[in-house]
Amino acid sequence: MGALAAAIAVGLGALGAGIGNGLIVSRTVEGIARQPELKGQLQTTMFIGVGLVEAMPIIATVIALIVMFQ
Amino acid sequence: MGEIQAGEEWKMSDYEQMIVRQRKWMLYLLAMFLLGAGITPFMEVFLGLLLGTIASFYNLYLLQKKTLEFTEAIARKQSSRGIGMLSRFAAAALVVLIALRYEEQFHIIAVIIGLMTSYIVIMIDFMMFQNKDKAGKRGE
Repeated sequence: MGALAAAIAVGLGALGAGIGNGLIVSRTVEGIARQPELKGQLQTTMFIGVGLVEAMPIIATVIALIVMFQ
Repeated sequence: MGEIQAGEEWKMSDYEQMIVRQRKWMLYLLAMFLLGAGITPFMEVFLGLLLGTIASFYNLYLLQKKTLEFTEAIARKQSSRGIGMLSRFAAAALVVLIALRYEEQFHIIAVIIGLMTSYIVIMIDFMMFQNKDKAGKRGE
C-alpha cells in the first residue's frame, strides 16, 4: 500500500505542476513573442511563478519517498 | 545580457539583480547553518538543514539559469530544451534518500525545511522588492 500511496502522491503532484507550468510558460512565450522589449519583466514573473508552482510537487516527492522507505 | 557598446555604462537588469540578491541570502543562510552545526549541540538538525539548503540552492541556481536560457531562446526565436523540472525533482529525491539512509546524522524534518529555504527566499525577496521597484519606477 505504501508504493500505491507514493505513486498517487507523486502522480497528482506532477499533474498539478505540469498544468501550472504549462500555463505560465505558454503565457510567457506569447508575451515575449508579442513584445520582446518586456523580456526582463516577463523573466521575473516566469521565474517566481515556476518556483512557487514547483514547491508543492517537490514536497509531494519528499512525502512519497518517506512513505516508501520508512 | 545585452551587448555593451564602447563608452556605455554596464547595468544589470532587474532579473540579474534579483539573482544576485537571492544567491547572497542563500549563502548567508548556508553560513549560519554551518555555524550552527559547528557550535551548537543540535548537530543533526543543523546538518539536515545544511543538506536540504544545499539541494535547494542547486534547485534555485538551476531554475534561474533555465529561466534565463528559455526566455533568451524565445526572444531570439530559437527552440529551447525545457525548464528542467525533472532535474529539480531528482535533486530533492536524492537528498531525501541520503537523509533516510543516514538517519543518525541527518534530521529528516530539518532536511525538508532546508529544501524549502529557496522558496522562502524567493517569496520574501519578491515581497520586499516588488513595492520598491514600483516606487522607483513611479518616481522616474
